[in-house]
Amino acid sequence: MNDLPQKVKDWLGKPVIIVDHVVTVEQGLWTNFCVAVGDGNPLYWDYPLSRDETESVIAPPMMLPSWAIEHDWSPDRAAPSLRTLELHFMVKDALGIKNGLVTEVELELHEPLRHGDSVRAEQILRRVEEERETKLGIGRNWDIDVVYRKPDGSLAGIQSLHFLGYGKVAA
Amino acid sequence: MTTLLKPHIGMRLPELALPLTRKLIIMGAAATRDWQPQHHDPAWAKEAGLPDIIMNNYTQAGLISRFVTDWSGPMGRIGRLRFAMRRPICPGGTATFNGMVVDVTAEQQAMIWAEIDIEIMVEKKTVTTATVKMALPATARSPSPWHCPAVKWHP
Repeated sequence: MNDLPQKVKDWLGKPVIIVDHVVTVEQGLWTNFCVAVGDGNPLYWDYPLSRDETESVIAPPMMLPSWAIEHDWSPDRAAPSLRTLELHFMVKDALGIKNGLVTEVELELHEPLRHGDSVRAEQILRRVEEERETKLGIGRNWDIDVVYRKPDGSLAGIQSLHFLGYGKVAA
Repeated sequence: MTTLLKPHIGMRLPELALPLTRKLIIMGAAATRDWQPQHHDPAWAKEAGLPDIIMNNYTQAGLISRFVTDWSGPMGRIGRLRFAMRRPICPGGTATFNGMVVDVTAEQQAMIWAEIDIEIMVEKKTVTTATVKMALPATARSPSPWHCPAVKWHP
């Protein structure tokens, strides 16, 4: 990884972007997700049944990363919102790569989220591979982990993402 | 009362066939709060070398979760999901979800863990492969995995 810019080397192995409780977990928002994917799991919908299983309705666990995405617009914010997985875009831009895609994802799920919760998410760059020829042109792969915690510090989950970046930004 | 599911290696999940509409892809991206243009802007996607807008990974995760918990019922608690997106999922055609139990552990903390391999195909081509690790009650009298204390939850 000797060909990496120094700032990318400096990002490796530590939290670089921290998204701290930017959205409140709300049932109305997770209902939109259930509707989109057609998920009728009663734990997300049915109060009597979820009381027995999970004490109260829970947010679909696969939505965990969505609770660490800033609102796209806010009335009192001067700067643009952070992009979804901001660290990924920082890596892509620092390497002069035009396009990036997620190719593999792993989600390890712990404490479920409920209405009124929020998460703190730490984005950590784990690895950047050597430049290579890909099906979409010259590119590279890199790995980012995101650690999600609830306000009490308990672990909500860990997301590991494998990216493919391709195409050079014109000089 | 939910019927106890007793998974075994080789057990197949009921197939799910899902029309891939532009609405599903855009609605999934919006509901997961993902406004990256490749998930809603066809012109931008084509400029980036993609055939059309593509389904985002959060929507794929949600569909895989739905596919597995439709089979397990609400007592099935997913501890780990790993998936590889081999081809982009674009509007058009039908996505077919197939899954099979490939491993079942012995009882631990009144739970068993089932490992399920999943393949999503569109027009006979594999677009995504996934593995889900799910906890289920070991017996009809076992507590739900959702009651497992955090210190004993090791997905």
